Order: sequence, then structure tokens, then C-alpha cells
Amino acid sequence: MSAPPASRSIEFRNATLGATIAVLRETEPARLADALHMMLGGMPDFFNGEAAVLDFAAMAEAPARIDWTGLASLLRRYRLQPVGVRNLPPELAATARQAGLAILDDAELRDRQAALAPAPQPRAEPVPPVHAAPAPAPVPAQPAIQANTLFVDRPLRSGQQVYARGGDLVLLAGMSNGAEVIADGSIHCYGPLRGRALAGAQGNIAARIVTTNFGPELVSIAGIYRTFEQGIPESVAGRAAHVRLSAAGTEQKLGIESLQLD
Amino acid sequence: MTRVVVVTSGKGGVGKTTTSAAFSSGLALRGFKTAVIDFDVGLRNLDLIMGCERRVVYDLINVINGEAKLTQALIKDKHCDNLFVLPASQTRDKDALTEEGVEKVLKELEHLGFDYVVCDSPAGIERGAVLALTFADEAIITTNPEVSSVRDSDRILGILQSKSRRAANGSDPIKEHLLVTRYSPKRVEDGEMLSYKDVQELLRVPLIGVIPESESVLQASNQGTPAIHLKGSDVSEAYTDVVARFLGETRDLRFVNYEKPGLIKRLFGGK
Repeated sequence: MSAPPASRSIEFRNATLGATIAVLRETEPARLADALHMMLGGMPDFFNGEAAVLDFAAMAEAPARIDWTGLASLLRRYRLQPVGVRNLPPELAATARQAGLAILDDAELRDRQAALAPAPQPRAEPVPPVHAAPAPAPVPAQPAIQANTLFVDRPLRSGQQVYARGGDLVLLAGMSNGAEVIADGSIHCYGPLRGRALAGAQGNIAARIVTTNFGPELVSIAGIYRTFEQGIPESVAGRAAHVRLSAAGTEQKLGIESLQLD
Repeated sequence: MTRVVVVTSGKGGVGKTTTSAAFSSGLALRGFKTAVIDFDVGLRNLDLIMGCERRVVYDLINVINGEAKLTQALIKDKHCDNLFVLPASQTRDKDALTEEGVEKVLKELEHLGFDYVVCDSPAGIERGAVLALTFADEAIITTNPEVSSVRDSDRILGILQSKSRRAANGSDPIKEHLLVTRYSPKRVEDGEMLSYKDVQELLRVPLIGVIPESESVLQASNQGTPAIHLKGSDVSEAYTDVVARFLGETRDLRFVNYEKPGLIKRLFGGK
């Protein structure tokens, strides 16, 4: 037997923690400062000390160098604490590490997914070094591999919460108001969907929510959510329906459509 | 084998103790040796409803702490020979209840040859309520036809699924029964109250009965007579049906439709 936990001076545990993703289209601190001031002018405490991951996927051009110190102090001014980066051009990775930021690209996952994909066209290398076109649509976060479907056989009750990590969630007996379900993939609900349903929790915009009886308090796909304060639209209330994102211009829009079952 | 049945609801004031008293009496009237335990430590009520408050000497906590034998604490019911009441303690709080203690009491009741043990749960989702349902084989979810009661019942159903011994062992889940109490067909008709169908649709638990709202329940409580003994009252009939359904018989649902009073009734009153 090893020493009891209380006598160890350090212990390691695994945890999944939430973080804010800051998608940068600009790395020059001065210009970012202007933009942040425009967005959050009166609220310097807006982020309340949250951890942030800087995402460089949407950069039009890879910057030659990044002023990490300036960037970090700018974000800290808004009480956002940068802890890591992702989708950073590889040649800048070393400077990010030097600045004390973790490289959070899940390279292993990405490689596995590339291997699994049927790949009719050759896949681009994991981190696109330079985008030729100016300001492309934000690259969605890499969805996790959808291998682990989680089945829930009994009704989910108020106060219960289920998270299908890295996969789809199938509810075979519906869920009640006050319950919450989260899936990295899609949510399939046979029976009433009440309560809160959040699909594509890691940013998978292709995720959907499908149910035979639509009546939730909140639905969300990839963080884009909708509540029903004014009641659920008559065309879908209590009926089979599905929720998905569709691109409307540069924005994603949450759509609820009824389904014809027979 | 002793079957442990918990009467629970989450919300207070919905009729758990009234139901525990009537249901355990009903089982005893059908010839089953039955014990009914009050888990509402600190706020004991069951002994009042059962009309045995003056005979309480020892209580559940005394038995758990080994200060009294179970046979000393069990009070024989005045209406039924094979019904026994185990009262709660008025002077302790719920921390005095322990899982091992409750398990020991239930084992001993089984040893004494009881067919059914009915656990009257306190309101809320704290210790007392959780311990009342921990060892249950079946559960009667007492629900009033209004949204907050339905929400709380739903919460308790979740706790039944997650915290009961059956859930921990991975054995067959607790058999759930929905009992709608304080039901007023007239108010349902007027759209002021959820119908029992709405409640069942929301909770998706098999319905074991509907108990009509009635003045005779209050009267019975004050007299210390379980409502099932009020011969000829609709509440008594409804509880008798519940017991029959619980024992596997088929009974049509009664007292759920509003009948407009006829002319004679309107002229001369009457109940």
C-alpha cells in the first residue's frame, strides 16, 4: 500500500474544466485593445477571471511574430486568464511555450480522425499554415470521434444530469423538466424532451437534437442556444422535431423543424 | 420476504402521512402483517393520524440506538390486529438516523415475519427522506395535481433511481406507483387543476389511484382514524381500490369525473 492520500504533498487528478475560447483574427495588442474596448467598454470585469484558450484558426495570415506579453496583459485587464493556445502555426509554437502557454492542439486525436476518415480528397495537414483567402469563416473546433454512444434506458428526472463524452446520447424514455443532458455529438430522444438539451458541446456544429416529443426549456448546439420564454412554437410543440444549425450568411442559426413520423 | 414500500413525494403537505396510514391499514385489513414507520424524525405526525400518540413510549431512534427493543417500540394499531406503528422521535433530529440503523430495524421486522413495511417519508430530499427510500422495493409517489408537486415528485423519482440500495446493487429498480391525491374533478373541469392524465403524462409512472379531495380526510386525521376506515366515504373507497391495485387486482378508476349535481340535489343539498 502506498501512503494514504492525506500524507502526500501533491496528488494528480484528471479533470475536464471549462474555458473560454478566444478566437483571434488579430494579434496586434493595440488593435485588439481597441476592439475589446468597443465590445466590452464599460465592463472591465466582464470575464471574472475565467481561463482562456487562444484560438488562431481564424487568422487570415499567420503573423510573423506575436507579442505574447502584450497580449496576455491586455486580456488580463479584462480579467481573462490565458492558459493555452490552439491552432497556432507550428513555427510560433516555441514562442508560445516560452510565454508559459500550453499548446492544446489534440494532435493525436486529429491524426486518428484523419486516419479514420474515408478521405476522398487528401486532407490538409493538421494546422493550415497560411490561409490564402482573407477572413474565412471560423474553422469549427475538431469534433471528437463519435464512437461512444451513451444509452439511457430510464426516464431522466428533474435534477439529473447526463453527459455523453465524445459521442451521441440516446434517451430511450425521455427526460423531464429540470433535467439536463449534454452530448459532444447529437442527442436522440425517444419520448418527451423536456429540460435542457445541449448537443455538440465541444463545438461540433453538425450535431443535432432529435426527439419524438418536443418540449424543452433550452436547446443548444455548439453553444448556440435558444430558450422558450414565449412558449414553444405551435408547429413543433409536443411533436417529433429536430434542431440543427444552418449557416445564415456568416452566422450559424438554430433551426427547429418538425419531423414526419409514421 | 418482507416488501418495503416507501410513501414519498418531495413536497410537503400532499398527503404522504394520510396515505401511509390508510395504505398500511388497507394492507392489514387484507390480512397482511404490516408495519408502518414514521421517518419524519423531529416532526412526528403518523402516530396522531393513527390515533396512537398517547401510547408512544419508545421510538425509531431508541431502537436504532439500542435503547429499546423493536418489539417494545412497535405499537399495535387499535383498528387492525396485524398492523403495527413505529413512531418517529419528537425530540431528536434527522441526524440520529443512520443507514445501518435503519437496515437493522428492517432486517428485524423481516425476522418478525412482517409481510409489508410501509415507510412514511418526510418532505424534502434530505437525510430522512433518502433513508426512508434507501431500502424500498416499491414506492408510492404521492402527488397533488399542481406543477410544483409534480416537479418535486420528479426529483424524488430521480433520487429513487440513484440513491436506493437497489440502484447501488444494480438489482431490479424500485417499482414505482403514482398516486394522485387531493384531486378535485370539478376544478379539473374548470381548468384550475391538472388532470390526473396530465400528471401521469408528465411523470410517466404507472398510476395506482386517484384520491379525491375531501373534508372527511381532515376529520379522520383529527380523530386519529386512518381515512380508509371511514366507511362509505369516497376517500375510503379510493384507498381500498389503491390497495387492491397494489396487490395486483384490476379496478376501474373512480371519483375522477365531475358530475353536475342534479336538480333534487341542488334543491335539497346533501353530499
